[in-house]
Amino acid sequence: MDELNIDRRGLLASALALGGSVVSTRAMAADPQPQAPAALSVAPTSQAGLSPRLTFHAVDIFHGASGAGLKLELSRFEEGNWKLLKTVETVAGGRPADPLLVGDTYVPGRYEVLMNVGEYFERLGAKLPQPAFFGKVPLRIVIQDASKRVHLPVLFSPWGFSFYRGS
Amino acid sequence: MAGITTHVLDNLVGLPGAGMRIDLSIFEGGSWKLLRTLVTNADGRTDQPVLSPAEAKVGQYELAFYIGDYYASQGGGKVPSEAMFVDRIAPLRFSLFDVKQHYHVPMLCTPWSCATYRGR
Repeated sequence: MDELNIDRRGLLASALALGGSVVSTRAMAADPQPQAPAALSVAPTSQAGLSPRLTFHAVDIFHGASGAGLKLELSRFEEGNWKLLKTVETVAGGRPADPLLVGDTYVPGRYEVLMNVGEYFERLGAKLPQPAFFGKVPLRIVIQDASKRVHLPVLFSPWGFSFYRGS
Repeated sequence: MAGITTHVLDNLVGLPGAGMRIDLSIFEGGSWKLLRTLVTNADGRTDQPVLSPAEAKVGQYELAFYIGDYYASQGGGKVPSEAMFVDRIAPLRFSLFDVKQHYHVPMLCTPWSCATYRGR
């Protein structure tokens, strides 16, 4: 947290230089993210009973919001290389508009979802060091059985992430 | 201390992830260059730092955790490879932005999940 503390001291100094009151300075220090996205406003979504598919959901646990506008590159491991299948972007709610894979495209294999976390937080105006801790973050999973639905939720912040097999 | 350290925790069994291979690479000249291969000790850490303070450079690094091999062999539980959801190698990519700082990046894993964060 040293970086943030330094940032807050920096804010304090600049606010005092501008003649800001202590109260407003504290308000600035407590909320250094002026362009935070809208908070979560939709109910959780159940995908029970849907056909086999790979779905994705990003939750921004830095802002406590859906990870909307997160750019993703989906690749499959083929003949020794990661082959880009498509580039998609999450929409409001933190999910891509369509499943990452469904129907004929949903086949077993090793897959990579490359999340552009660096661009996401930069666009939202998060005050982070350069280069940011995270740029493009790869998540690699295996689809073992194309008859079973797979959900890939990701919780991410500028400083950490977790993903797991969801439902 | 600066540099990079890691710690593997096997959350399938609630124990340190011992004997897991980790490859450290740096992104240089447009491609990933392998710097070294490490293996976690009984405490799930590496005997030597992943990257020593003297070696630290601003830039992008990757730690590739061989989670598939780990669960296929000494991974506490008998996890068949066809049950894995996490790929056989879990890459963790991040940047060093200040070489005077320390970067501790633990990997918490199960066959179905991975979590990491900048720790201390």
